[in-house]
Amino acid sequence: MQKIPLLHAKAEMTLARDVFRGNLPVGFPLCGKGTKLTDDLIARFESMDVKTIYVEGHPVWEEGERSVADLLHDLDGRFSKTLQNPLNALLYDTYKAHLTKLMEATSDRQAK
Amino acid sequence: MTDKRSKLRRIIMDTRTLPTLPSVINKLNSLSDNEKSSIQEMAKIVSSDQVLSARILRLANSPSYGFYRVSTISNAMILLGVNVVKSLALSSSIFAIMEKDSIGLWEHSLAVGTVANLIARKLGLPECEEIATAGLLHDIGKVIISIKCSEAEKDIIRLVHEKRIYTMEAERETIDTDHAEVGGWLSKSWFLPDKLSEPIAFHHDVAGSVNHRIKTAVVHIADVLICAGGFGNSGETFVPPVQKIAWDTLKLNEQILAELVDETEDKLVEVKNFCLEMMGD
Ligand SMILES: [Fe+2]
Ligand SMILES: [Fe+2]
Repeated sequence: MQKIPLLHAKAEMTLARDVFRGNLPVGFPLCGKGTKLTDDLIARFESMDVKTIYVEGHPVWEEGERSVADLLHDLDGRFSKTLQNPLNALLYDTYKAHLTKLMEATSDRQAK
Repeated sequence: MTDKRSKLRRIIMDTRTLPTLPSVINKLNSLSDNEKSSIQEMAKIVSSDQVLSARILRLANSPSYGFYRVSTISNAMILLGVNVVKSLALSSSIFAIMEKDSIGLWEHSLAVGTVANLIARKLGLPECEEIATAGLLHDIGKVIISIKCSEAEKDIIRLVHEKRIYTMEAERETIDTDHAEVGGWLSKSWFLPDKLSEPIAFHHDVAGSVNHRIKTAVVHIADVLICAGGFGNSGETFVPPVQKIAWDTLKLNEQILAELVDETEDKLVEVKNFCLEMMGD
């Protein structure tokens, strides 16, 4: 899940949170989570003063954000003391798998 | 007990110099033991604290709670529950004690509280809110060390980097005690219940927790998960060892762990936002 400015919203992204008029969580949502965005929907949000939305995955690379390779490198550093502990090794593998999944999602999008 | 440690203990336990809990907490505590005390009465007490009121309303209106259009404190209390409001009151007063420059520890604490809650719910444990509060407070000893022994704190930070060791080890070397023990002392002097003080005092030594081992195990695992993900900054360079006793106590397995990591990373997007908002206050 990622919080992005509406400016970066693109058709085909999936909402991870309900969207409200003027970004205030008051009243009925304009659109429910799980909805796939369309250009029309994005235009409608714009007219309703929605500034940011939450979307599934991590579709937008933000300025100053670290690359997945950097994140993996940091992960190695943090685990360098405890990898011989089997439970830590399992935790390491789990995080690594999580980051790798993120990386695949990113390169998929770049391919598109 | 060595000289240094007992002296420090005296300093820390000296209630005259200890950060005190705001009176609003004591008032809430005295009320809520009596189940009959009306929400109205509690709401009146909470309303006297503006910052707290604002936070409670914000939380009640946050999408993660799924309640909308909550504009009065008493409605918020009905929706959130008395315990959530108490946790919030406690945590917001503790973070008022923390300085602005400890934002890293702030983020770490909030994240551990959030993930402790996530784990507790996932495992279907009772008293999830208490577990979340314990998670939020688990490193409170670090705040106290920083306030009471600011010189020693610098040595501790230096040692952690120079010797590539854990904070606990550097603390023991420098001040003959550690933040878990100090947190335990503090919770005693604040008269916090065992279900909070045990996870605080034993989050680095789950076996030491006798009466509330499950809660302590949750806080331990949440702490390790947050360190592993590299969220916030608790002053630790390395992920601490996952204690087998915690893993066994909670009957965790590979599958649950994988789900927890995914769900944790999602939750942290919200925690990050929340921190940014709070800092903007
Ligand atoms: Fe700790
Ligand atoms: Fe911690």
